[in-house]
Amino acid sequence: MKRLAAYFAGAALLAGMLAAPAWSGAEPDYQQVHDGRYQAILGDCMGCHTQPGGRAFAGGAALETGFGAIFAPNITPDAATGIGGWSEEQFRRAVKQGVSPGGKRLYPAMPYPSYAKMSDEDVANLYAYMQSVEPVQRRSTPSRLRFPYNIRALMIVWNWLYFQPGPRKLDASKTAEWNRGADIVIGPGHCGTCHTPKTFLGADTSAALTGASLDGWFAPDITANARRGVGGWSVAELVAYLKTGHNSHSMASGPMAEAISYSTSKMDDSDLKAIAVYLKHVPASSAAAGSALAADDPHMRAGAEIYQDNCAACHGMDGKGENAIFPPLAGNPIVGQTSAETLARVVLAGTQSADTKGAPTQPAMPSFAWRLNDAQLADVLSYVRGNWGGGGPVSAGTVAQLRRDLRPNRR
Amino acid sequence: MLDNRPLKMCRRRFLASVAALPALTGGAFAHTMPHSLPWSPFAGDPPKPINPLGWYFLTPSEVITVEAIVDRLIPADHLSPGGKDAGCAVFIDRQLAGSFGKSSHLYNKGPFLPGLPTQGYQGELTPSGRYRIGLKALEDHVRAANAGKSFAELTGEQQDAILSGLEEGKITLKLAPGFSTRQFFELLLQNTMEGFFADPLYGGNKDMASWKMIGFPGARYDYRDYVEKYNQPYPHGPVSIMSGAPGWNVKG
Repeated sequence: MKRLAAYFAGAALLAGMLAAPAWSGAEPDYQQVHDGRYQAILGDCMGCHTQPGGRAFAGGAALETGFGAIFAPNITPDAATGIGGWSEEQFRRAVKQGVSPGGKRLYPAMPYPSYAKMSDEDVANLYAYMQSVEPVQRRSTPSRLRFPYNIRALMIVWNWLYFQPGPRKLDASKTAEWNRGADIVIGPGHCGTCHTPKTFLGADTSAALTGASLDGWFAPDITANARRGVGGWSVAELVAYLKTGHNSHSMASGPMAEAISYSTSKMDDSDLKAIAVYLKHVPASSAAAGSALAADDPHMRAGAEIYQDNCAACHGMDGKGENAIFPPLAGNPIVGQTSAETLARVVLAGTQSADTKGAPTQPAMPSFAWRLNDAQLADVLSYVRGNWGGGGPVSAGTVAQLRRDLRPNRR
Repeated sequence: MLDNRPLKMCRRRFLASVAALPALTGGAFAHTMPHSLPWSPFAGDPPKPINPLGWYFLTPSEVITVEAIVDRLIPADHLSPGGKDAGCAVFIDRQLAGSFGKSSHLYNKGPFLPGLPTQGYQGELTPSGRYRIGLKALEDHVRAANAGKSFAELTGEQQDAILSGLEEGKITLKLAPGFSTRQFFELLLQNTMEGFFADPLYGGNKDMASWKMIGFPGARYDYRDYVEKYNQPYPHGPVSIMSGAPGWNVKG
């Protein structure tokens, strides 16, 4: 017995010695890996490149774009299926120019137009970190884009039209904090990838950060607009939201909950404050979110009854919710967006708030798809928007379409 | 019993404990719980509403008898519709066709021993079996005592007299061993009340008639705004689980 134990001990030690070098590759510089890890947090690489419940960086779930489904590939240092064979220069070209080794063009779902603003040093650190993570052998899922978007060479034209490489110019009239915030938001943070409206070819319009539809969610306005954006939030409230996913105005869900869990909740407090300071200075959006129905409109009356019977128990007849458990609707930016997509989706499918160290409870909203028909759901949303968002009414057709989009396999 | 011998470190023991280290620490990583709580979109387990059409268990003649019975147990008056119009017979039919009728939620094998009166029916018949036997025995009794007329063909007073007779033990039907006439009556009465007061999605309580009658607000769960408004009636009408309230729909 003792001999057996000794044998296993020897075998385990030997295996440990053999396994360790295979993991870490060539001598990594600790500081580089450490800094690179922070770049991966700023860039939220995890958000797209990891499947829910899957191995870190081994490839992501489908991202449904207007052009078809895109799957973020395996970016672990596995030589055969990941980026283990890439040189630092090849990595930099992919991250900052959207060209992978062999000349294959990446789609801007990989936010290289934003990452192009990163310094070469930051990207070199990121490379060192990515080469240090656990390699996973897993073939990436090919993207499924419709013709003609599936022709990658077209991205050469796209880049010529829209791609603006080079670092962001320092604005000397602003504080160092503002400039740091701008660097993160415009660069690795790539906030505009979701929050900036796109042209018909998927490039950013000039209406930066005014809110956009993506993957069945409406990424809200995050300009200084006091009603729909973050203009009504203090810097501290905005930092709390990015750090914990929750504040007294709203709770993060959907893709933002992921971005917060993987990325912003792990950023340094000073960087979160810089982001908040910058966002509060982004020129406020001006597009109207439509006008509310009159209070005595039949749809508002029906909506009021539905709200009283289904929503008020948690969110209150006054729409104020309960602190830290039930988000308020009054003053919640999600309610007043130009599109009711997120609001409707949350009521239809339910949702769960972000998972962070600072707020691990993750309050969840139940699905009402089984209880409210399209007309009833539209009326209650019109009531909520009319009462507390200043947004225009929602039609039953919009809800019906969303219901079909979210559950295409049900009649 | 503690072993008081000093623990001596020898080469073998050292190697064994070093070997155990990766196994132990590795185990700790493997058992780390993921942060996120389980959740999935569209989660929910709503009850399945009954199909309002047709009959699933009762035969046509049984339907006529049951409808007549529920209409005497809950007669139509100025307070509410009768048991038949409220859908009590539909409710009973769907329950007998489902898990209640089959006793699928109960232990239903022998030995079958006589129980105490407080324990209710202890025999081998499922509720659907008791209805089948009970309704036939009732019809046989009524036809024999009323020159061939069925229960439904009698006047209201005659029907009431028969139902009272079942309840008070004045009438003894030919049922199965261990299944008393009183137990049959109590089963009918119990299920009729359930049909009258249960959520409309199960077939009875049409248009929430019974809830309106007694002022029950239905499937609501928050009364904070009213809990301190003493001696004032609650202002909102009832809500059902699946079909909500009439005010949820814009007319036209």
